[in-house]
Amino acid sequence: MAADTLVTLAEEPQLRAPPSGAASLWFAFRENRGAVLGAAVALVIVLVAIFAPLLAPHSPFEQFRDFVKAPPVWDGGTWRFPFGTDGAGRDILSRLIYGARVSLFIGFAVMAVSFGIGVVLGLAAAFNGLADVLITRLMDVIMAVPSLVLAILAVAILGPSLTNTVIAITVVFLPRFVRLVRASAMGERDKDYVTAARVSGVKGPRLAFVTVLPNCLAPLIVQAALGISDAILEAAALGFLGLGAQPPTPEWGSMLADARQFIRSDPWIVTLPGLAILVTVVSINLAGDGLRDALDPKMRRS
Amino acid sequence: MIRFLVKRILLTVPTFIALIFLVFVAIRLVPGDPVEVRVGEHGISPERLALLRHELGLDQPVWKQFLDYLWQLGHGDFGRSLSTSNSVLGEFFTLFPATLELAAAGMLLAVVLGIPMGVVAAVKRGSIFDQGLMGLSVAGYSMPIFWWGLLLIMLVAERWGLAPVSGRLDFVRFDYDTPTGFMLIDSLLSGEDGAFVDALRHLMLPAIVLGTIPLAVIARMTRSSMLEVLSEDYVRTARAKGLSPFRVVGLHALRNALIPVVTVIGLMTGTLLAGAVLTETIFSWPGVGKWLIDAISRRDYPALEGGIILISALVILVNLVVDLVYGVINPRILHGR
Repeated sequence: MAADTLVTLAEEPQLRAPPSGAASLWFAFRENRGAVLGAAVALVIVLVAIFAPLLAPHSPFEQFRDFVKAPPVWDGGTWRFPFGTDGAGRDILSRLIYGARVSLFIGFAVMAVSFGIGVVLGLAAAFNGLADVLITRLMDVIMAVPSLVLAILAVAILGPSLTNTVIAITVVFLPRFVRLVRASAMGERDKDYVTAARVSGVKGPRLAFVTVLPNCLAPLIVQAALGISDAILEAAALGFLGLGAQPPTPEWGSMLADARQFIRSDPWIVTLPGLAILVTVVSINLAGDGLRDALDPKMRRS
Repeated sequence: MIRFLVKRILLTVPTFIALIFLVFVAIRLVPGDPVEVRVGEHGISPERLALLRHELGLDQPVWKQFLDYLWQLGHGDFGRSLSTSNSVLGEFFTLFPATLELAAAGMLLAVVLGIPMGVVAAVKRGSIFDQGLMGLSVAGYSMPIFWWGLLLIMLVAERWGLAPVSGRLDFVRFDYDTPTGFMLIDSLLSGEDGAFVDALRHLMLPAIVLGTIPLAVIARMTRSSMLEVLSEDYVRTARAKGLSPFRVVGLHALRNALIPVVTVIGLMTGTLLAGAVLTETIFSWPGVGKWLIDAISRRDYPALEGGIILISALVILVNLVVDLVYGVINPRILHGR
């Protein structure tokens, strides 16, 4: 009996292989119910955006002249236009569905571009003294200008459009990545494994990108996830101010701006696009928070 | 100590100059002929164009133009607005009190509600209140505030009639001088019946909208900072001594828990000013945020240039003050450098 127990205990470690990185991340992540819910909703929104042409009952641009400002189905409307129509007689549900494409495109594009440029500038700053002074100073300046004001300035220069929204918000978000990469690369720079790589002849970009960068990725991934939601909010704000995607693009922020004039008569036209923005941003933030907690157990439950 | 102060202050000088340079270059990248853009005339004769170019100093090399611009700014000359011909600096400071009043009211709301909420959530960790509050705070900092403002207008102002839709005061009912520019103070000074209440009612919704994101951030920050402090040894000692829970939390723990919160509050100036742009646009609040947006739609580049430099200079200054104060209250920072 006692011998049996001993054997079982001794064999225990061999029975279960240690969980891989991704698996242990998932174990930590799924503990957080809010994060799982957020990730699920975000996934649904991504799917809606991808399959927009299949899901949308109408074209987002088609104007139904006989159905201008039709009420939604719970307010005496028809199932033909479940969420009603806007001031130009366009189906709101279809515009919201296509709007997910625009918002997610902006979110992911901003992230990808500022991630890429941020990594290059951040590593350059960490490994080169002169570049450090210049880049850090530039990022300080960018951070001094309130984000929306800076984006507005960029749009004023470039002219309002979807692409320029992406460029403007990328400029605004760049400092976050640059500073993060720089700080974590500086933390890694003098560790033994980097010294070992140096001694064995690795230098320059290879040292920065191949040796150091993979060890700085965790906080970057979290920042990227949370940055997507910020970018979506910022883009919607620009759209609302008339400085983002131009009509008739079905963009949530500019849909809200169009709807402002109907605030008294037809509240649903105002309510729905904002709700779409809020749900998208909340779900990405929840998932991003969960990812951060899972990647960095020190921050957990705080 | 003195060295830290001087060093920190000197470090902002190159940031200032770089800021002015970037905005200077950016504004000159705006498409269109600079003379037409800056003077607002179209289809002018070549002679007049040359004259204007000379008058505006555009025939000088760029570095000379920049130095001239710096010289001008140093003398407080931010140029004249194209749409009103008033001095940009004058317009900015006429409108600034409105923005400051709004920002202060929003921040006050966020601090007064956010800190107690965060403390209670930390003390009652894991309770329904805690979970509910954290859920709300995610919604709060994810909020598209321009939509939130429209919703409040729709419900509170239009449907329930509890607050006015826009502006700072009912100018049909009240007419008085505004010596300070702060409507709450001016309404009291005027001595007119009901003016203060009217100003307060106008301020209510914009302040809620602008305060929403700071409120969510402060509540979260207070909670996590409080949780950290509550697990420290000195708090356990205070408990073991038999102090009442109220004294332990309110006196011993809160003091240290607030240090990071105060920093975050200071560093939120930029967020607040960006939020003011949206809030002022929604509520037709005559502050610098709305003025800046109007400057874009009017292609009023001197106003845009001056406005952005002034707003950013303000953010740099506030961040500097926060840093200095933080250095003073937390000596570890001084010795670390």
